[in-house]
Amino acid sequence: MQREALYQLLKNKYGFDEFRPGQYQVISDLLAGQDVLAVLPTGTGKSLIYQLVGSLVPGLVIVVSPLISLMQDQVARLNYQGEKQVAALTSQLDYGSRQSILTHLTQLKFLFISPEMLKQPPVLTALKATTISLLVIDEAHCISTWGPDFRPDYLSLGALKQALGEPLTLMLTATATDKVRQDILTQLQVPAAQQVIYSVNRPNIYLAVEQVASEADKRTRLQQLVLAVQRPSIVYFSSKRQTDLIAEWLRTTTNLRVAAYHAGLSAEDRFKIQQQFMAGDLDVICATSAFGMGINKADIRQVIHYHLPNNLADYVQEIGRAGRDGEPALAVLLYAPGDEQLVRNLNDLTMASPIEIRRDQQRFQQEQAPGTDLSAVLQYYWTHGYSVEQVTAQFEKRQRAKETELAQLLTYIQTKTCRRAVLMTYFNEAAPAHTPHCCQLAGEPLPLDKLGLTASAKTPQAATTPWQQILAQLFLQNS
Amino acid sequence: MLNELNSLKEGAGLFADYLLLLFTTAPRRPKALFNVLRGKRTVSTLFAGLTTGTLSLLDSWHGVALPTFEAATQQLVTAGWLVTTDPGYLKLTPAGEQHQQQLMTTLYLPTAWEGFQSADVRQFTATSQLALQVVSEAVHQQRRYYPITTDRRIQRTVKQWFRQWQRPTLGQQIYQELTSFLQTQSSELATVFSQSLTGFNFPGQTDQQLAAQVDRQPIEILVMRKDLSCHWVAWLKENPGTPLAALLQPYLKPNPVSSSAWQTYQDYKTGESLAQISQRRRLKLSTVREHLLEVAILWPDFPAAELLTPTRVTQLAAIFADNPVIETWRFQTVQAVLPEMDFFWFRLYQIMRCHDAA
Repeated sequence: MQREALYQLLKNKYGFDEFRPGQYQVISDLLAGQDVLAVLPTGTGKSLIYQLVGSLVPGLVIVVSPLISLMQDQVARLNYQGEKQVAALTSQLDYGSRQSILTHLTQLKFLFISPEMLKQPPVLTALKATTISLLVIDEAHCISTWGPDFRPDYLSLGALKQALGEPLTLMLTATATDKVRQDILTQLQVPAAQQVIYSVNRPNIYLAVEQVASEADKRTRLQQLVLAVQRPSIVYFSSKRQTDLIAEWLRTTTNLRVAAYHAGLSAEDRFKIQQQFMAGDLDVICATSAFGMGINKADIRQVIHYHLPNNLADYVQEIGRAGRDGEPALAVLLYAPGDEQLVRNLNDLTMASPIEIRRDQQRFQQEQAPGTDLSAVLQYYWTHGYSVEQVTAQFEKRQRAKETELAQLLTYIQTKTCRRAVLMTYFNEAAPAHTPHCCQLAGEPLPLDKLGLTASAKTPQAATTPWQQILAQLFLQNS
Repeated sequence: MLNELNSLKEGAGLFADYLLLLFTTAPRRPKALFNVLRGKRTVSTLFAGLTTGTLSLLDSWHGVALPTFEAATQQLVTAGWLVTTDPGYLKLTPAGEQHQQQLMTTLYLPTAWEGFQSADVRQFTATSQLALQVVSEAVHQQRRYYPITTDRRIQRTVKQWFRQWQRPTLGQQIYQELTSFLQTQSSELATVFSQSLTGFNFPGQTDQQLAAQVDRQPIEILVMRKDLSCHWVAWLKENPGTPLAALLQPYLKPNPVSSSAWQTYQDYKTGESLAQISQRRRLKLSTVREHLLEVAILWPDFPAAELLTPTRVTQLAAIFADNPVIETWRFQTVQAVLPEMDFFWFRLYQIMRCHDAA
């Protein structure tokens, strides 16, 4: 397709004059029939790529996505943009709704699906009978960080792609090291894919690490930060319980508008919190990492990590939600001595000893159903003919990789030199020269004024609107 | 809807308050109560609902997970409010009785949950949420918005409804309809209803946020919203012909009985014998009997005495003449005297006597 025609389409369909970095190249590679692995920073409009290709190539665009909440966000966003032929096939749908989607596939343009759902025989059969224009693996880095332990179903994506007749494939991610990129290409069996890679560096996000002595100090510092820095802010936690507790505590101690967001909420509550946040009705969101993958809010000024992220790749992804408008933003990682143990504990939960592995294989051989999460993970390996030794080696390799990731994260936290340089090195990129607007060197105070990030006066809490007035606002014109 | 279930997983503690209200000083089977709440329509569950007076709660906590339920009962046992008598039975302790009394005065108690039997309240609630959002956005000429649900079936239903009712006065009509309905409710309930709506420039409040606003527990807000849906369904049935009554129409149930059981009852009323019904509809005789027991439990007009025949009624009455506590009757007692009699007749007689007692 002609370059001019693509720009015309961009203008007519989405109202933009220019493509964001990387979009044009990925689209033209795909239209030329090339599989593509695209590493594009968050906020560069990755979904526009498959939307645009989908509107040009006949057939169904299948988007494999790791989280149900993310899929619902994406469907809602496409609906919002006027795409009506969109559905998400998830385990949350009842039987009737699922059947309805499978029998109406030809009426759909975009189908969001989890890898678990994709491999179910009735689903695969229905999809095989459909023309597929593009297979998109969204958040493709999950294949590597979530694959061997958490989501063994990701290991099947290569075979599933083959079963679907090797459709044109687009792998999307915001962050991927060389090793992860290689992992993606191997898992998906696309060694010849074009790689379109843009820097993960986000120069407008100031990087800071605050070392605190205790959990209590951490809370206090958190409270100071959400009050002192321009809002809105996101605070990330690694547990749902902490998310709820600290949100409640901030709400009662600061007079700010604070909400908690995690996978334990109902779909309705998730929708409401997200919409409140996007509408500017909330100052602070306390969230687990589930929040933000589908969020498109340009003016987030601060991302705080109350707990350590899993690794630097996740960290870059999560802080990337700040400052998408290009204005200054702040990323603060709060660290108390021993925090890394929490990460280790979480890692250990997914670990299995050789004895446990052997015992589980006996369970499988005795044809007993898997009873634990670990069994459910191991079940995949047994049904695919792995030996105990292979699985043990796989788990050990994974555990070592996680230790390495953690060590790299701690290097970032403890460095006495430029933090951005540490990040860039991790992603095998050249580091830009350090400036006062780059990052906080060990022992330096936060230059909030210089960054223009000092909070303005507090937003007063709105009084309760009487119900009659709410109905009038909702349903009467000019009210 | 799995929504509720998800939030309940976290809220076993608060769910326990409502659960305690379902126990008495006489032992009850928690498993049977669980099945009533999640809406399992087997005869033994329905019968348990009948004997414990909890039939109006049938399906009121649809989708509640067994672990949530068990965590909640365990919590009540640990708190010393419930105690195990025979294995599988729980009853109130004196402290539990006292706490129950206290909860009755402080907790929000639903007043219209029998509505769950007259309509598919959950589906209607989900559909009406989107319908009201669509109307509100249309009133303000907003064409680009995030829909509250991405469920395609609900989207289709609402689209058809909207096409049929779309006119310049629709917003005004909905405004008046909702105002009239909410005037029949307390101002607290009207606040919860309106604040939880989603529409133009108004994402709506979550249960958690509303709880803080009206000073209640989030689970009470959930109970209030279910109750509001039931009240709304009842109100719409009284006010037919309006756009929202039309939206409700497909979700109404003519009676609380399942359609196959209702069909069996209709067959029976034409004078067919149970054996004939079984043969013609290719159902097992036991299935036909289960159907009739379901109808007998849920439809008080069911002519149980006629089906039993006066002979059987006399025989069974004689056997249990000394025991007025119907739910403690055992089939073995019948078998000892009348070894030929089928369980069906015993259970039907029990059901009839329960209705008589009520």
